[in-house]
Amino acid sequence: MISRLRNNPLIKIAWVHLVSKKRQTIVAMLGVMFGVTVFIFQAGLLTGLQNYFIEKTVNTTAHIHIYNEVRAERPHVLDNVREYDATWKVVRNQKPRDEERRLRNGYQILRALERDPRVEGVAPYLGLQGIVRFGTAQQAATMAGVDIVREDQLFRVRENLIDGDMLRMQTIPNGIILGAGLADKLGVQVDDNIAIISSKGVVLDMKIVAVSKTGITAQDNTRAYISIRNAQRLLQQSGAYITDINVRLRDVNAAQAIASEYQARYQYRAEDWVAANANIFGVFRIQNITITFVIASILVVSGFGIFNILMTIIYEKMPDIAILKAMGYRNKDISTIFVIESLVIGITGGLLGLLLGFIASMIMSTIPLNIQGFVSVQYLTINFNPVFYLVAFGFALLSTAIAGYFPARKASRFDPVEIIRSR
Amino acid sequence: MTQEQPIIVAKHVSKIFTDPVEFRVLDDINLTVDRGEFVVLVGPSGSGKTTLMYALSTLDTEYEGTITVDGTDIKALNPNQLAQFRNTTIGFVFQFHYLLPDFTVLDNVSLPAIKAGLWSPEEIEERAMKNLTLLGVADQARKRSSRLSGGQQQRVAIARALMNNPKILFGDEPTGNLDTKNTALVLDILQDLKTEFHQTILMVTHDMQFTERADRVVAIRDGRIIQHEQQ
Ligand SMILES: Nc1ncnc2c1ncn2[C@@H]1O[C@H](COP(=O)(O)OP(=O)(O)O)[C@@H](O)[C@H]1O
Ligand SMILES: [Mg+2]
Repeated sequence: MISRLRNNPLIKIAWVHLVSKKRQTIVAMLGVMFGVTVFIFQAGLLTGLQNYFIEKTVNTTAHIHIYNEVRAERPHVLDNVREYDATWKVVRNQKPRDEERRLRNGYQILRALERDPRVEGVAPYLGLQGIVRFGTAQQAATMAGVDIVREDQLFRVRENLIDGDMLRMQTIPNGIILGAGLADKLGVQVDDNIAIISSKGVVLDMKIVAVSKTGITAQDNTRAYISIRNAQRLLQQSGAYITDINVRLRDVNAAQAIASEYQARYQYRAEDWVAANANIFGVFRIQNITITFVIASILVVSGFGIFNILMTIIYEKMPDIAILKAMGYRNKDISTIFVIESLVIGITGGLLGLLLGFIASMIMSTIPLNIQGFVSVQYLTINFNPVFYLVAFGFALLSTAIAGYFPARKASRFDPVEIIRSR
Repeated sequence: MTQEQPIIVAKHVSKIFTDPVEFRVLDDINLTVDRGEFVVLVGPSGSGKTTLMYALSTLDTEYEGTITVDGTDIKALNPNQLAQFRNTTIGFVFQFHYLLPDFTVLDNVSLPAIKAGLWSPEEIEERAMKNLTLLGVADQARKRSSRLSGGQQQRVAIARALMNNPKILFGDEPTGNLDTKNTALVLDILQDLKTEFHQTILMVTHDMQFTERADRVVAIRDGRIIQHEQQ
């Protein structure tokens, strides 16, 4: 004890103060600890889920998606004839034109894109709604007509297969890959034969070659991959008919610029992945703002805890402060004492919070949850990004420093004469 | 500054309190204390003795007039210089002991010397023990100060005031709360300090024992010095 005092009496005084207020000191530390723990846990949980979702959804979105944007609204036929008085327009029920979603020179564009050095892969797509039937069971499904090898290059189809073999799509002319949810509902498995029916009334007999599970419930419950040729048959279209081109870039961050370039060049809508998922990013932003406020308010509350205990100590130890000043300790020495006290609380509470936050996150990430919702996950993916730990600790220190500053300043400004006289 | 120069020179020192009503607590005080002198300040309660002591000991700088201690004009010092000056030049013993209750006796006595930073930790402990021995409380060194009796605490406070070899030792009724036996003990110690170490002492007291043994008694009433009585 004495050796510590010899080296720095201010530290010793601060220590004695804290020890003499053990219970309040611990409560203040717990406040900081709690704030940091919640920070780390919440941030890790939330961004972990967001990252998982981004990986699953955004990575299954093409970097650039080129398609023919069909406008439902078009000017009234009579408007184009000549300028009539608007009150005389009487033709009603103008139907949308049976405008083609087709990309007119789709395969030409595809080959041109392939030669672009910024492009890593290109995949054609022809989608349609249809019904999958197995005996008496039937389910609505989104048929994705794809070139399975190209599709795999863009969206890692193979990685998500839980049964079967992707490449049989190439050897079997009527192969189909079903989403896991869809297969479950129909009660089918690999090598079963099913029928698919399009809105044009075309029926095709198909053989299940694989089952896919991406983890995104909406996709797994409705999607089926078929070949483009079969999709064209279902729509009674010729061999050049495709509706979409998906592009994978070497640099994902260049998507926006390249997309607008393509849109101008090919006169079709070219949408980059950020725009395609704008609503998801919007939700994430709201989540992050909310959580920031929650964490900030916890840290403010823990700051008040520190402020409170320091003020208590200061008023109780006023005679000590006066006597220290009378024997020649400076104002700065006095404020240092209380800054040390707040830092001890902040650092100890902060470190405990880091530890507890880490442990809580670890435990959470090992508990099997098997959530089946928006996304289906077995374990929560917690983000252990060290930046969170740094930021949480930084915030703890900041709120502690602010909470300690005012009491420290107040104590340093006490007039020793007044205190000694008032005794 | 030669040794012949007086250690304290107060010239036309006045102080007015305005709260609750305007009140002249010190009224044109002129006082000189020589080096090695043992001066006792007496006067009725409320006459301004404590106020004067705080001004002379540099704790209070809000007054009219000038006070020069050891050749230094106190008002010319900034707060940090003042703290340093107080630390090295002045020892103060208050009426109430004012030890830090959670610290040991040894820690309490060491505090001014640690602040001064002039000695190694070992030297500080040695000095502290020497002073505690001088005041007869060396056996209490490792105890928490709040465990000591009033008389013991006051002696520890004197030991603390002497730690940095102050040029002046101030006391504001240091024996006010002590019984006759302890008072006599403290007085003996102070007189030893004066005769053996040539210590300048300026002390407020009501005790007749002191007034008899002091070099000079200064009487104050209503903020004015009314009598210098050379013994
Ligand atoms: N801060 C203050 N404000 C107003 N009056 C004060 C203050 N401090 C002391 N006094 C008054 O000044 C007078 C002198 O006080 P003090 O110097 O303590 O006298 P003494 O020590 O001789 O008893 C007293 O009447 C006291 O009430
Ligand atoms: Mg008094």
